[in-house]
Amino acid sequence: MNNFLQKVIIEPFDRFIERLIQFLPDILTSIIIFISGIILGLILKSVFLRFFRVIKVDKLSERSGVVEMIKKGGLKEPLSLIFSRLICWLTIISFSILSLRSLNVPVIERIFERFILYLPNIFVAAVILFLGYLLSNFLGRAALIASVNAGIKLSGLIGKSVKLTIFLLAVTMALEQLGIGRETIVIAFAIIFGGIVLAIALAFGLGGKDIAKEHIEKKIKGEEKKDDISHL
Amino acid sequence: MENILLRKEIQEEIEKIKEADILIGIPSYNNARTIGHVVKAVQVGLAKYFPDKKSILVNSDGRSTDGTTDVVKSTTIEDSQSILLHHRISPVFKIATPYHGIPGKGSAFRTIFEVADALNVKACAVVDSDLRSITPEWIELLIKPIIESGFDYVAPLYHRHKYDGTITNSIIYPLSRTLYGKQVRQPIGGDFGFSGKLAKFYLTKDVWETDVARYGIDIWMTTTAVANNFKVCQSFLGAKIHDPKDPGADLSAMLYQVVGATFDLMETYSEVWKAVKGSEKVPTFGFQYVVGLEPVSVNLDRMIDKFRLGIRELISLWEIFIPKEIIHFLHKIEVVRKAEFHIPDEIWVEIIYSFAVAAHGKVLNKEHLLKSLTPLYVGRVASFVIETWESSAIDVEKKSIDYV
Repeated sequence: MNNFLQKVIIEPFDRFIERLIQFLPDILTSIIIFISGIILGLILKSVFLRFFRVIKVDKLSERSGVVEMIKKGGLKEPLSLIFSRLICWLTIISFSILSLRSLNVPVIERIFERFILYLPNIFVAAVILFLGYLLSNFLGRAALIASVNAGIKLSGLIGKSVKLTIFLLAVTMALEQLGIGRETIVIAFAIIFGGIVLAIALAFGLGGKDIAKEHIEKKIKGEEKKDDISHL
Repeated sequence: MENILLRKEIQEEIEKIKEADILIGIPSYNNARTIGHVVKAVQVGLAKYFPDKKSILVNSDGRSTDGTTDVVKSTTIEDSQSILLHHRISPVFKIATPYHGIPGKGSAFRTIFEVADALNVKACAVVDSDLRSITPEWIELLIKPIIESGFDYVAPLYHRHKYDGTITNSIIYPLSRTLYGKQVRQPIGGDFGFSGKLAKFYLTKDVWETDVARYGIDIWMTTTAVANNFKVCQSFLGAKIHDPKDPGADLSAMLYQVVGATFDLMETYSEVWKAVKGSEKVPTFGFQYVVGLEPVSVNLDRMIDKFRLGIRELISLWEIFIPKEIIHFLHKIEVVRKAEFHIPDEIWVEIIYSFAVAAHGKVLNKEHLLKSLTPLYVGRVASFVIETWESSAIDVEKKSIDYV
């Protein structure tokens, strides 16, 4: 009986305690790293918040339309606060990963390695999305204003179409960067975009041929009464 | 930009001429059809009114391909008797040279200023190369106030159709009069006189790689002269008739260029206009007379449609920087009948000031901001046309001045 107790309970328990004692320094190190990460994250949040306010990030973001985007996403805080919070969380997450790594568990190390190798893709995809959004806003607005000034009644639709097309292109590129359904996304985008262009061409060519004829005739014959005002 | 004086052929010409009393500059680009008449008018004007002065004509050309500079060089006064000249005509020196720098009227003018500076010229004038209505008297009217009365800047004063010059009448003239305190009626006329001293001053400004060189030179010359306390006057030149410009010329591009240049100058001279209160008349030379003008056709329905389209599609953009009361007014006027369509002066002034403040605060991309002004401007013109349909040109001119 004593032998049984020794083999089944006492010895494994002793081994467990031994391993725990060996593991304790690693756990302690891990906790210290994690707490340091939280403290550093809070400090960096405060520092970067001040920095972003000095370089007027909020004002720049209003001009570029980013504020509009984040308000639509339900966030009402200024961009400087959002960025500084992001930096805080990135710091905490990085230190969390380091603290996990310090436990020296092989599985965790492998996951960590793959995550680190994937990070640049996430960063590049985020940059592509951000730049794509800014560009879509800018060009969409340019198309809207130009078509209003040209007197085109569907100018709102033209502006939105330009904006959507460019943003979709940016999303496709970001997904491709992340390696999510690489070829599928690109092919799907090409099919949708090509389909839209073909549909418009057919609609104008077949369905709108009488209107197109009338419009072109007006332009060529100059029947539309224009102004003679010399504006300058 | 390469200094034109380093070019060998120009240096040789300048060394030959050494000094001159009067310089007349003509910027050009593919104006072979019209520049001959302008050159003749200039030559006759100089011969008739300044026979004892040493004069030079400078054609600053944008590398024309239709032989413009050849026309300039070959144009002479064939028959002095028909133009009632009974004295010996001294030759007018001529320099016809391509200008360097950013393509545009400003770069062409810079070349003219540099020649004026090199020859130590006392009085200069610049005229457009496509003028049909220029007469020799224009030279007297642009140069004499400088030589005999000591003025530094002579702005033109034209007799125009009541519906012409709407950008000048509704934006540029009221804004520059209010800001700088001088009632220069045609600040972007295009034909100016200026002293050699002012030409040298213009050359000290580092604007030749900016939009001033492209299209902002007219308002820049006037504003720089007024804001730097040069002696300014204006001369009545009669009608201004020139070759019709490309009928497809984009109104929104015109607004962007002219209003953009005006807003940029507001930034440069903010310390000047902040101290200005009220405005004063500038001396006016020349015998003013009424000229018969071609009628101007106006398509009111098209203008009002364009205005309404602008409100429908651009109101969300304007809401960023135009006050709520104005936005509310625009929503109301979108649905009124043509007979009741009216944009009061106060509303229009608020709109222009809102755009100026938005440009200063860089609320939007500058080109988007100023091009979005186009439907509002077209609406204002339509309102003005409806309001003054039965009025004479004199009554309309009085209204344009009183509204400021």
